[in-house]
Amino acid sequence: MTAGTVFDIGYQRYTGPREGRARARLAVFKDGVRTALGLGRGARAKVLPWGFIGILVSVGLIMAMIAGAASRIVGAANVEQLNLPSHSDLYGITSIILFVFAAVVAPELLCRDRREGVIHLYLVRPLTGSDYIVARWAAFMVVMVAATWLPQFGLLVGLAMGAPAPVDYLREHWLDIPKFLAAGVAMAAYTTTLALLTASFTTRRAYASVFLVGLFVITTPFTTGLASEIGGTAGQWISMFNLTNIPVHVNDLIFGEVSEITEHAPAGAFSGAVLVSWYLAWTLVPGAVLWWRYRRLAP
Amino acid sequence: MTRHQTPVIRVDGVSRWFGSVVAVSDVTFEIRPGITGLLGPNGAGKTTLLRMMTGLAAVSHGTVTVFGEPARDNPPLYRRIGVMSEHETVYGFMRGREFVRMMGRLRGVADLDAAVDKAIGLVDLADAQHRPMGTYSRGMRQRMRLAATLVHDPEILILDEPLNGADPRQRVHFQRLLRQLAEEGRTIVLSSHILEEVEQVADTVLLIINGKLAASGGFRAIRAALNERPYHVRVICDEPRRLAAAVVTLGSVDAVNVDPDGAIVVLSRNVRDLQIELPRLAQAASISLRRVEPLDDSLESVFGYLVER
Amino acid sequence: MGSVYLLTLRQLFGRWRLVIMTVLAAMPVLVAALTLRSTSAPTVREFEAIVFSGMLAGSIAPLVVLAIATAAFANEIEDKTLANLTLSPIARWRIVVPKLLAAITIAGPFMAVSALVTSHLAFLGDVRATVAVTVSILVGVALYSSAFVWLGLVTTQAIGFGLLYIVLWEGFFSGFVSGVRMLSIRHYAIAWMHGLDQRRFAAGEHLSLGAVIVTSTIVFGGFLLLAIRRLRRMDVP
Repeated sequence: MTAGTVFDIGYQRYTGPREGRARARLAVFKDGVRTALGLGRGARAKVLPWGFIGILVSVGLIMAMIAGAASRIVGAANVEQLNLPSHSDLYGITSIILFVFAAVVAPELLCRDRREGVIHLYLVRPLTGSDYIVARWAAFMVVMVAATWLPQFGLLVGLAMGAPAPVDYLREHWLDIPKFLAAGVAMAAYTTTLALLTASFTTRRAYASVFLVGLFVITTPFTTGLASEIGGTAGQWISMFNLTNIPVHVNDLIFGEVSEITEHAPAGAFSGAVLVSWYLAWTLVPGAVLWWRYRRLAP
Repeated sequence: MTRHQTPVIRVDGVSRWFGSVVAVSDVTFEIRPGITGLLGPNGAGKTTLLRMMTGLAAVSHGTVTVFGEPARDNPPLYRRIGVMSEHETVYGFMRGREFVRMMGRLRGVADLDAAVDKAIGLVDLADAQHRPMGTYSRGMRQRMRLAATLVHDPEILILDEPLNGADPRQRVHFQRLLRQLAEEGRTIVLSSHILEEVEQVADTVLLIINGKLAASGGFRAIRAALNERPYHVRVICDEPRRLAAAVVTLGSVDAVNVDPDGAIVVLSRNVRDLQIELPRLAQAASISLRRVEPLDDSLESVFGYLVER
Repeated sequence: MGSVYLLTLRQLFGRWRLVIMTVLAAMPVLVAALTLRSTSAPTVREFEAIVFSGMLAGSIAPLVVLAIATAAFANEIEDKTLANLTLSPIARWRIVVPKLLAAITIAGPFMAVSALVTSHLAFLGDVRATVAVTVSILVGVALYSSAFVWLGLVTTQAIGFGLLYIVLWEGFFSGFVSGVRMLSIRHYAIAWMHGLDQRRFAAGEHLSLGAVIVTSTIVFGGFLLLAIRRLRRMDVP
């Protein structure tokens, strides 16, 4: 008997343009970069990531200062003989810092979303699991590449300024630039992939971080000790499992000289092809596993 | 029916800010035995206020006393207070009974097993008590948490949104339980953002909006105040002035304003009748209604009105 | 107190965690066993430096304790269940102390057994050296636990700062700046080793045994007091 009435209380449909998957991927990427660097989340979130980057850049600058001081003391001509640490050594020296940085920051990108259930909100959008992980990987890769390149640029600028004629220095040593850029990418790719893979196995950030650092920090003396014990080819292969050195060997190949850190590593005796393949195995296989884990996620 | 007794909880000039955000602003009230409802929209500062009352959070300014003692940094007080926070997480690996038992032991309950049985009986979870809480439904978890809050027989109960996700049957059971506990002389403070929930249980109501105390007192008095205030309904049609002239004749309408943009705003204290009469009127006058929307249908604006008074 | 202790034990226990800890604890033992078999044994100094200073005290013990001790409070804060404990009429120290003891109870035995077996193998049954290593690793576990329980209470980024401390402060910088050793739990543990068995573990300057006992007590007690104070003053979620 009573007539029903429907009130239009103002709900409006969205009639503007709707963007697709590419936009979604870009959004996840941007969010990844912001989360990793603590942007838009207050001062406390920025302390760790920017602190690490600060330390990394400082190491580069300090190395430059040491080189500058040395050249002043012994004279520019004799500096070469001192064989001071330079671009080729920087990644070896800072590798542990880079790994800890990745261990602390990477879990923020993946663990939180899975723990809070937000990942399902992402997947309901025109975004597949593989889109999500590729975007997150790219985001962290960008941050890692910045973390690896910035100290090298710091070192370069420091060395150039310290040289008597900066422009000449740059002209002589410009080949260093593409070398450290490439080595930096190799370093970053390896670290990013392993860090994200570890983070994909747990929802508590803390455990991912500690496991990752443990992996790097503990395998180093373990494999070094064992390798020098056993010696020979077996020892060389054991040394290959020193996870901190894998990308540094690639770094050595790119620069054509062995860095300080890997000088005594038995694994260095292997040919370039073996070292590069090993590196690729340790980067591509984890990458594939990571991709596969996220690909089969459904909302 | 509030009995005039000595206040159990005294909040005096209390403010709390986080950096530049003021969560609670200069709030003063007293709570007596019986059931007090703390009402307000989400983000109004209810939880912060409750946390300050229980000593979980510090005050930035002002004092909070419970039974005449400071609430903060006063562990012995917790023997007499039972608190149920808004967070629903429990130790998933623990069985329900174990959890209540542990809480009882921590709070120094003497005859532990009897108290645990009684508390679990009150919330009607005796058959599920031996299962791990990770297997409970949301409602069961809330009830077991309530049992843990009651196990030490506290004189004061402070419950932050206890009915989150409760189904109607649980709601009724819970209200009955609260009434029973209050009749035994306890002081119960209950927070919620849903008017109807609190309406059925609380004797006194405290309204918090934007961190300020908007109104306090008997619920019926506040409801009456709400009824006094006319609602504003905006109507967009193709012949506003003609409609306005017709609408003014309706009994349910107090006043009509015509906006410069051609919409009319109808003030009415009886929106229910207006809902029926307006379309009939429009149809009879052959005016098509394009949009009819209430301008102040939110709890917040209602309370805002109260704040302004 | 017993309830909090047992609760924390259950919270910190986990199948995977136990497996990983067993693996980690076994690693130095493996190295020691393999070293014995090989013909070209390294000097005792090298072995000590790598296995004890590097692995056990330097990386395994602090990392294991970091994961466990920070979790004692950090997990409760993250899950928002800490209020269950703080809303009890018990003194705050009765909440902090059992949590700390639980962390030590879980990490301690693993590290102690690892240290015991490794040193027994490495030093060919020398009792004094074995006791020295085991005791100092236990002291290290206690000190790290105290520090990291406090850290877990103070910040949600406890792991990040803890790692910074372990890898950068104790690892990286102590290699370059010797003054860092005065402020490094790892070096206290090594000082204990040297103090208990003067024949070995002498690698650079150490605090004397008396000094390191006092320092250890201050550090352990200091972090414990800081944690209690923090629990009293913080806003519990």
